[in-house]
Amino acid sequence: MCDLKRTLDATGHCVLEMPSGTGKTVSLLSLIVSYQQFYPTRRKLIYCSRTVPEIEKALAELKRLMAYRLSCVETDEERQKEQSFYGIGLTSRKNLCIHPEVSKEKKGVVVDARCRDLTNAAVCERGRQDPGSVDLCDWHENLGKLEPGNLIPPGIWTLADVLQYGRDNKICPYFLPGQMPFVDVIIYSFHYLLDPKVAEQVSKEMSKDAIVVFDEAHNIDNVCIESLSIDLTRPMLDSAARSVGRLGDKIDEIKKTDASKLQDEYAKLVEGLQEAADNEDAFMSNPVLPEDLLKEAIPGNIRKAEHFVAFLKRFVEYLKTRMRVLHVVAETPLSFLQHLKDITYIERRPLRFCAERLQSLVRTLELSRLDEFSALQKVATFATLVSTYEKGFLLILEPFETDNATVPNPIFHFTCLDPSIAIKPVFERFSTVVITSGTISPLDMYPKMLQFTPVVQETYSMTLTRNSFLPLVITRGSDQVAISSRFEVRNDPAVVRNFGSILIEYSKIVPDGVVAFFPSYLYMESIVAAWNDMGILNEVWKHKLIFVETPDANETSIALENYRRACDNGRGAVLLSVARGKVSEGIDFDHNYGRAVIMFGVPYQYTESRILKARLEYLRDAYRIRESEFLGFDAMRNAAQCVGRVLRGKTDWGLMVFADKRFARADKRAKLPRWINQYITETASNLSTDMALTLSKLFMRTISQNPNENQTGISLWTLEDVEKAQAKQKELALQAQQEQRDAAMDEEDEYGDGGIDDSMLPDLDV
Amino acid sequence: MDAGREERPHNIDFILQALFCSKEGAAQVRLKIGLVNDDAGHNFTFTSPQAVALVEREKFKQELTNIISRNRSVAPTPAPLRPSVTPGTSVPPSNAPTPRIQQLARPSMSRAQSVASDSRRSGTPSDPTGDYRLRKRVLLSNAELAGLHKELVIGGQITEAEFWEGREHLIAAQAASENQRKGKSGQLVDPRPTTVDGETKIVVTPQLVHDIFEEYPIVEKAYNDNVPKKLSEGEFWKRYFQSKLFNAHRASIRSSAAQHVVKDDPIFDKYLEKDDDELEPRRIRDEGVDLFIDLGATHVDHGETGNLKDVTMQAGKQKAVLPLIRKFNEHSGRLLNTTLGEPSSKRRKLNSAEDERYAQIDIEDLRDNETSTSILLNMQDRERYFEGRSAEVGPAAPKVDIRAAIREAKVSLHDWQGNLVRLKMEKKAADSAVLAMTQNVAARLDVRMRTSELPNSRVYASRLSHLFAIADDIPENIFRQMTTCQTAANEFLRQFWLSIYPPPHEAQLSSVTTPAQKAAKATKMIGYLERTHERVEAIVRSAQMEGVDSSRIQVAMKPILDSVDKALAFWKARSSNPNPRGAR
Repeated sequence: MCDLKRTLDATGHCVLEMPSGTGKTVSLLSLIVSYQQFYPTRRKLIYCSRTVPEIEKALAELKRLMAYRLSCVETDEERQKEQSFYGIGLTSRKNLCIHPEVSKEKKGVVVDARCRDLTNAAVCERGRQDPGSVDLCDWHENLGKLEPGNLIPPGIWTLADVLQYGRDNKICPYFLPGQMPFVDVIIYSFHYLLDPKVAEQVSKEMSKDAIVVFDEAHNIDNVCIESLSIDLTRPMLDSAARSVGRLGDKIDEIKKTDASKLQDEYAKLVEGLQEAADNEDAFMSNPVLPEDLLKEAIPGNIRKAEHFVAFLKRFVEYLKTRMRVLHVVAETPLSFLQHLKDITYIERRPLRFCAERLQSLVRTLELSRLDEFSALQKVATFATLVSTYEKGFLLILEPFETDNATVPNPIFHFTCLDPSIAIKPVFERFSTVVITSGTISPLDMYPKMLQFTPVVQETYSMTLTRNSFLPLVITRGSDQVAISSRFEVRNDPAVVRNFGSILIEYSKIVPDGVVAFFPSYLYMESIVAAWNDMGILNEVWKHKLIFVETPDANETSIALENYRRACDNGRGAVLLSVARGKVSEGIDFDHNYGRAVIMFGVPYQYTESRILKARLEYLRDAYRIRESEFLGFDAMRNAAQCVGRVLRGKTDWGLMVFADKRFARADKRAKLPRWINQYITETASNLSTDMALTLSKLFMRTISQNPNENQTGISLWTLEDVEKAQAKQKELALQAQQEQRDAAMDEEDEYGDGGIDDSMLPDLDV
Repeated sequence: MDAGREERPHNIDFILQALFCSKEGAAQVRLKIGLVNDDAGHNFTFTSPQAVALVEREKFKQELTNIISRNRSVAPTPAPLRPSVTPGTSVPPSNAPTPRIQQLARPSMSRAQSVASDSRRSGTPSDPTGDYRLRKRVLLSNAELAGLHKELVIGGQITEAEFWEGREHLIAAQAASENQRKGKSGQLVDPRPTTVDGETKIVVTPQLVHDIFEEYPIVEKAYNDNVPKKLSEGEFWKRYFQSKLFNAHRASIRSSAAQHVVKDDPIFDKYLEKDDDELEPRRIRDEGVDLFIDLGATHVDHGETGNLKDVTMQAGKQKAVLPLIRKFNEHSGRLLNTTLGEPSSKRRKLNSAEDERYAQIDIEDLRDNETSTSILLNMQDRERYFEGRSAEVGPAAPKVDIRAAIREAKVSLHDWQGNLVRLKMEKKAADSAVLAMTQNVAARLDVRMRTSELPNSRVYASRLSHLFAIADDIPENIFRQMTTCQTAANEFLRQFWLSIYPPPHEAQLSSVTTPAQKAAKATKMIGYLERTHERVEAIVRSAQMEGVDSSRIQVAMKPILDSVDKALAFWKARSSNPNPRGAR
């Protein structure tokens, strides 16, 4: 917390690693909120998390924190201040829609499109003038009737709260936060800040001195890369071509009925893009254009609507021809543009405006059901991106899905190799960026990859009165056959059986929930089939129920819910899921939901992937990060992420089983976060299944004893302990001025700085 | 035997578990019943003319199948079956009159309750501590305790009730474990064919039929549609097991390989559903999920970005596995639903109380343990506690001035380093001291192990005693004497202190005795305890005769003698000063 304070004062960036389940979120929030409330400037907090469940959790914690603060205030003035505190979360229309029909739609894109049809400015205008002529969304209309800035009373609104409020007052929860004049805390997902397409709309008006926190940021580089990468497939291009055709038809039609409209647009475009941008119902927005570009006028050759349509048509055709190639092509954006120019005479400059121009046209034409245009949208974005960036990107054309496939299924990858490109605007714009997670070891990797210099960079270990988790590395089965998910041996029956027997044995001895992670979907699916045929799963059925992660997110959620019910009920269950998969991100398996996590194999990425290869090469050339180093780092952070999900709080306990020969290697283990690594003993790092079982049983027997025996003094500090520690610190360095305040408020937080002094003795006061 | 005969009511305490029938067309019409505790089962032969017998058997079969399936779903664990010692029970010989099956299992009891396994809640009518049967079981399962019981109770030194007083938890635990009912087995219904003489065979038992119907409602539908009009029962199953439908139901992906050997079947193919192997499930359930675990919400939180996942990370690439995975999830969900009932509706979840949501994010140990610096002593039944104490507590312990004590300790520890350096030990003396200490510790451990009633303690104790015996060369018989003496003394001590102090908590109200009784008991115990010294003496003497070093015995028995002395001293002090607290 002191480190965080230092960062805030120094207005710089920082990287913090805190063990999972130690109250990371709440300690961050409590400091920042009191910081906000203390200074009159009220720096805004932008809190980014990775998944909606995590966003919701953060909001709930914030809400609780504010309730606590409110209960502690002394004067009315302060009370007023606390009460006027705003905190909201943002998410998509799909998650917030309460329109009876629209919300039934399954796909987020469709919900977006239908919502726009019901709520965009032009339709609203018409609907209001002539009630009944067009469908409008009542909820959105009701919102307009209320006075802006006064829509929702101050306080912390979790997503569920907002939904409920919307239902109760018949107003649209999605547009509600958008109308807010001033918000102290905003919580949303990474993409809203990193993805330039979204960030433009959402995060534009954030002031520069806002505090940005990326929680659960261990995968932040991947999010950065994802937000600037794009895939094009044959069906997509076909659909884009159709859309272009429809655009053409529509233009012809409009020309006959309302030619002035197009004329207006043309005039606007001459003046420059900026004017044309109307943020309220933007269909899509520009992927990172430099400021100066926005001020420029749209190039002449695509200013006229029909010219632009022809231009798009040509571009789509060109891409289609490229797809006919039957061998793998990898090229830089520059060479792609050169080739494009040679063949179709399309220049780079108009290409850059493609996305912007399309948006303008769509708005002019007042198209509905925009989801059908999504392919074209993608093509336009692709055009803009490819012509904007020169370095750090690569175009890869893969004609076949796998190496031995015979039917071509071409995919044109436009892939970003450099995560720092997407996050650069964030670092430049905001003065304080905090990157934190339970598992971001080794710490120096992140500043290197994201190209920033942190003011503070710290990892905290966990102080525990008892070893509440037991990491075990199983390297061989009871029959002494080495186990590994290495590609060559992973389907070896002996290995599969040994993996299976680990699952059986643990499902026998561990109470309640067991979670097993596999390195990939492919492997999980094949091993589930194999286990079933070998009768291994039948054995597991005897002890626990089995749930498996499926491709469909909703289906998995239901399975997950049932899994939790089974754990609550005492029946116990096994959940099979995938590292880096849906479940591994943002679902906690605390307490009885996960008494053991088994990591089958090392979750390496698929090294045959061309995109990964390109990225590795780039990392090596640009940042001097060796391939093997990155791969190992990436695998271990995912493994740590998976096993780290078992712990939440110090009364919780769990087993962490790493089942792979390769985990025994010291260089692998060194990449685990310190708080896990320090508990892997030498004996526990190279076990066979039966030895691991003995250790596990022993561990479970000891851990099941009464946990509440005097925790205070070691991992839990009372107010006196904290004060004492502070007094000591003061002597050491006479710089702490405000610590008293921080500490008084956060007596429940531990510093975790390793200062485990026996504070009980001095308490006796001889 | 004539099945049609008038049934004589017969009280039979056994649980039907399985049912077998002879083949249709067999020479004799038979019905076999398998029992939980009796694998051999009972055979019934229907002696009427075959046609009649078949009909009759069918009738029985129907009824029995129902009972069996009910029994199975609520059947208690086989082990704690009501033992046959209960008077009035008789297991019928196999040629007894047609038994009327009595439902032992209580079908109305919800399984959720059975999981809770609390004897009090599940409504055991009588107080478990008074249950002779339970006591017997506890003793049977704990030989150590049984030995003690034999010596003390059967030997007439203390009464049965006294013996169990303070051991109520054992009986309660036994009662609880007996009340726990086994849930449904989690295994998938997957009839595997057996090959006999080159002919593949699947044995269809009524139980299997029941399971299949439950697992696959579609088969039940097919059965109802077709049997007996279009197909006979035997025909139906024969065709089912050959059909594609059956292959689709089998929990194996190998079945898809066997597809080509499967014949088309016009009847069953009607019921065939498309394989559920698309990325999105065929059956879409519109259930709200708690936002905390809603993975779908993340999925639609923002537009799609990024490149396609590489081939290993694309879920559902192996289409054949998807139906299997879905089947697992559904099967597990169904099992849960049979236990817990359908999950609550969407509305309730969204409106779920704030507390519940907070509970999920709450980290217990980050809670401020209330601001008060001293910990309030929270006692159950505080009044009674003080009341009880005032009557019978001896002189209060001398007040210790903590500050003074610490100061003293500090002074005495002063210059400890110097002292330590100066300290020299003679080798022999040190060795013997350490040895004595070790023995002492071992003896204590032994005592502890014996008296503590952990199930494992017996094992440890015996192991330990074994070691002990070997190490000390104490003859087996002497050693046994020692242990019995010790356990007995321990038991007396326990009874003594129990009668002195008030019962620890209310749950043992059943054994509440009046102060007078207690006093009487205490006196009795003191009588026993006083004799402990004599006994030890006797052991020592006999040990001397055997040529064993008597000092060892004395050392071993020292702790118990010490505690006996303490009890005696306490008793003496108390009887000389009968009501110290009351006088104050």
